[in-house]
Amino acid sequence: MTMISMKGTAGQIISSILVTVFLAGSLIAILEIEDQRELGICVAVIAVLSFIMPRLGILRSAEQAGAHHPWAVRSIILIGFFSVLLILRDNNFALLMIATILIYATVCLGITIQTGYAGLFNFAGAAFLGTGGYTAAMLGNVTWLPDAVTIILGGIIAAALGTLLILPVLRTRGHYAALTTLAFGVLFNGFLEANELLGGPQGLKVPGIQMFGWDFSNDLAIGSYTFSFYANYVLLIGAIFAVFMMFTRFVERSWIGIWLDAVRLDEIAASVFGLKVSVWKSFAFIAGNFLAGVMGAVYAKMTAFIAPANFTFGDSLLLVAIVLLGGIGNRWGVLIATMIVILLPEKLQFIQEYRLLLFSCVIIMLLMVRPAGLLARRVRVFEELR
Amino acid sequence: MVAQSNDVIPLVASGLSVKFGGLLALNELNIEVRRGEVLGLIGPNGSGKTTFFNVISGIYAASAGKVLLDGQDITTLKPYQIAAHGLARTFQRSRLCLSLSVFDNLMLGAVRRLNSGLWYNLLRRDRLAVDVRSAAEEARDLLAVFNPDLAGKLWEPAISLGMIDRRRLEICRALIGRPKIVLLDEPSAGMTHDETNQLMNEILEVRQNLGNLTIVIVEHEMGLIERATDRCVVLNYGKKICEGKYADIAADPLVREAYLGKS
Amino acid sequence: MSSIAQYLLNGLMQGTIYGLVAIGFTIFFGVMNVIKFSHGDVLTFGAFGGLVAAWVATALGFPIWLELVFVIVAAVMASAVIGAVIAQGLVLPLKDAPPLNMLLMTMMVGTAIRECIRLFFPNGTNPQKFPELLPSGGFDLSGIYFRYDGLILIAAGIAFIFLVQWIINRTRLGLAIRAVAEDGETARTMGINFTLTVVIAFAIGSMTAGVAGALYGLYYSEINYGMGLILAIIGFSAAIVGGLGNIWGAIIGGYLFAGLQTAVVAFLPALSDYKNVIALIVVVALIAWRPTGLLAERGSERV
Repeated sequence: MTMISMKGTAGQIISSILVTVFLAGSLIAILEIEDQRELGICVAVIAVLSFIMPRLGILRSAEQAGAHHPWAVRSIILIGFFSVLLILRDNNFALLMIATILIYATVCLGITIQTGYAGLFNFAGAAFLGTGGYTAAMLGNVTWLPDAVTIILGGIIAAALGTLLILPVLRTRGHYAALTTLAFGVLFNGFLEANELLGGPQGLKVPGIQMFGWDFSNDLAIGSYTFSFYANYVLLIGAIFAVFMMFTRFVERSWIGIWLDAVRLDEIAASVFGLKVSVWKSFAFIAGNFLAGVMGAVYAKMTAFIAPANFTFGDSLLLVAIVLLGGIGNRWGVLIATMIVILLPEKLQFIQEYRLLLFSCVIIMLLMVRPAGLLARRVRVFEELR
Repeated sequence: MVAQSNDVIPLVASGLSVKFGGLLALNELNIEVRRGEVLGLIGPNGSGKTTFFNVISGIYAASAGKVLLDGQDITTLKPYQIAAHGLARTFQRSRLCLSLSVFDNLMLGAVRRLNSGLWYNLLRRDRLAVDVRSAAEEARDLLAVFNPDLAGKLWEPAISLGMIDRRRLEICRALIGRPKIVLLDEPSAGMTHDETNQLMNEILEVRQNLGNLTIVIVEHEMGLIERATDRCVVLNYGKKICEGKYADIAADPLVREAYLGKS
Repeated sequence: MSSIAQYLLNGLMQGTIYGLVAIGFTIFFGVMNVIKFSHGDVLTFGAFGGLVAAWVATALGFPIWLELVFVIVAAVMASAVIGAVIAQGLVLPLKDAPPLNMLLMTMMVGTAIRECIRLFFPNGTNPQKFPELLPSGGFDLSGIYFRYDGLILIAAGIAFIFLVQWIINRTRLGLAIRAVAEDGETARTMGINFTLTVVIAFAIGSMTAGVAGALYGLYYSEINYGMGLILAIIGFSAAIVGGLGNIWGAIIGGYLFAGLQTAVVAFLPALSDYKNVIALIVVVALIAWRPTGLLAERGSERV
């Protein structure tokens, strides 16, 4: 290795550490600070730093690190993750927030596969999320079924439900998929509100998770540290998120990734060269819905409750907006966008009332001014496949 | 390369008609493409050349007649099935995925040679890595025939290429799948005379390397047709009006009339 | 018997409203290949505009018939203006962007309009009472009771539908709009002012929302900030079922949807709560079966 490339590697690693520290630090700061004024200043500082960082080339360098030294970067991220967990171990609300962010980020990974890679419109993300949740609720009474199975079933049923919609979704013109998923979302919501069997508008209670003989509603003690009980969920969800992040990366960085992009960019050329477009669209759609269903089941169990009001068209729209905000097709952008969208409205009390209005205006501006989103999707380079 | 049986004609269109509403775009076309030949398909604008390609590749449906590829009836097959039978093509209007890399675009042409299984792609990453490396090498070699600089741009987005390089990329994409027969739709459109000549040399060189591939080429530049083709078919208003070596058809009065009008 | 007639009347009213909304969608798609999802909230905006006009008219002591005219005109104008502004400021600049961006943008615009009404209109979160401006009462015809206001509104709605249809098909403006819809580039070279035509087309399309909003308010005597969303979904699906870009298709789609809803309420009263669900299922099934719509959808791709 020449001196230059060593510097390159070292620089990339350092950048990754910087970015991770920055993200972790921002997360902790936003979650811990209670005073609204301090919080506002903090957010402003973070915004300014986020603006400067890419210009210093740190972001690019970190991305390179992710491409060339994935396991080093994964280790750094893991250390960062556990550090955050350790620091926030007493703050139950903070832990719940982190868990929620990871859940939504995973669902948005699914949408990234559907929309970012395969080009399918899905305005029913919340409905598939809800399907997983209601599956968990219904199976909650079946006590002999292990929670792990319930969670996976949540994903399978969501995927199965999605296949009902597959015919219009496969059509070339995007608006058929848009309408079908839109209608499905409304249908889903309407059905749940009207149907007493599934709890009606008041909702249902859902039992929490008990896995590996451990009841997740108990606080977690590791060594001399005690973690508030949501930490259990954070660890589980973090693990699931990591798995699905790898899954998404492997899909993108494979022949399948190219096929999905080809299907999205030019169906006719794709089929002329031998791709059976319907197969790949179906794969993307089903995979994405599976992710949503799994996370829905986990979410319902974590919050111990499920109601139709959480799964409206607005929620589905939010998911699509997150994916676009993050930079369509960029997995890390999804995580960052989710953090922003979930955290800020929760913590910035003074904008609570206006949060939907502000959000829609921000997205409109984004679409007009910077449609590529926060993190652009890089051209796929098959240099590291691990 | 699998040896092909030499008595089956690679491409036969018999009685092929295509109707768009009231318009008869192809009128009972009978065309044979012989093994290993370069067949020129010429005719004035709107004579049905691209329509012919589109029907063969399955994009348009035939209203009547048959298309046989190596003896197999592909008339009613979908494009992806026809591709599996060994047909590749380029498009008159460039159809590259501009935001994807040169490599990605090329690999689209190699679909039938690559493993699309989920298990392999997601879990046998080591095997995938090996296949990607060898594919990249093959890609570089193929591109280098056309333009050595292009071989170095494997990981650049296609949008960063100039027009001629994009054309070359499209042609390579058609060739990398080791097809049995290639349809080239106006590969030299928009190029100067010299550029066209150069492109033709490159195509012929690759063709030789691939064991005398069968090619059908639509072109407007007659010099190219004269030099590169073994035979020509002339279309006018969707009908075949003449067929034979370039020298013969160039002298044919019907052909002159088609291009220049009645005097 | 009389209840059947009541259902029929309701259904016709609904169908007229849906048809108007669907016409808007189909115009927007026809002219610019855009699904302008804010259409439903433009309707709400128009309805609220009409409400404000009613208050003003009452304050100024207008006679009822004048107030009625004022309300309708205000609703139509409010919708037209906001529709035109959206077209000029947001849709046209994004016309070369990926369709997903455009769709998301219009959905967000709709959300923004809805939220503004909810937050800034006095008592916006609650339903607002819409004034009774039409003659109440009705008449009996062989045992069936016909409401005056219902008949008048249906007649007005249908008249407006015909007006829009006439503008598009029989006027020079309509010709320009159809030319742009057919092929924007060519229309431009023919001397048609592309931008102006598009904006006017969007204004006309939005006017249908204004009329629908006014009709809704006058018939149900109540409007609320969230009424646009479900109307948009229904209007959009009606337009697709009829074939996007096809005005008659949109009208038929609207009445079809209302018919489905009415059928559920009339023949399966136990499932009344599910009427939207069932109607949407039928619509989605129809789209799966006949993806280009019952009548033809325009547009194809050059290979």
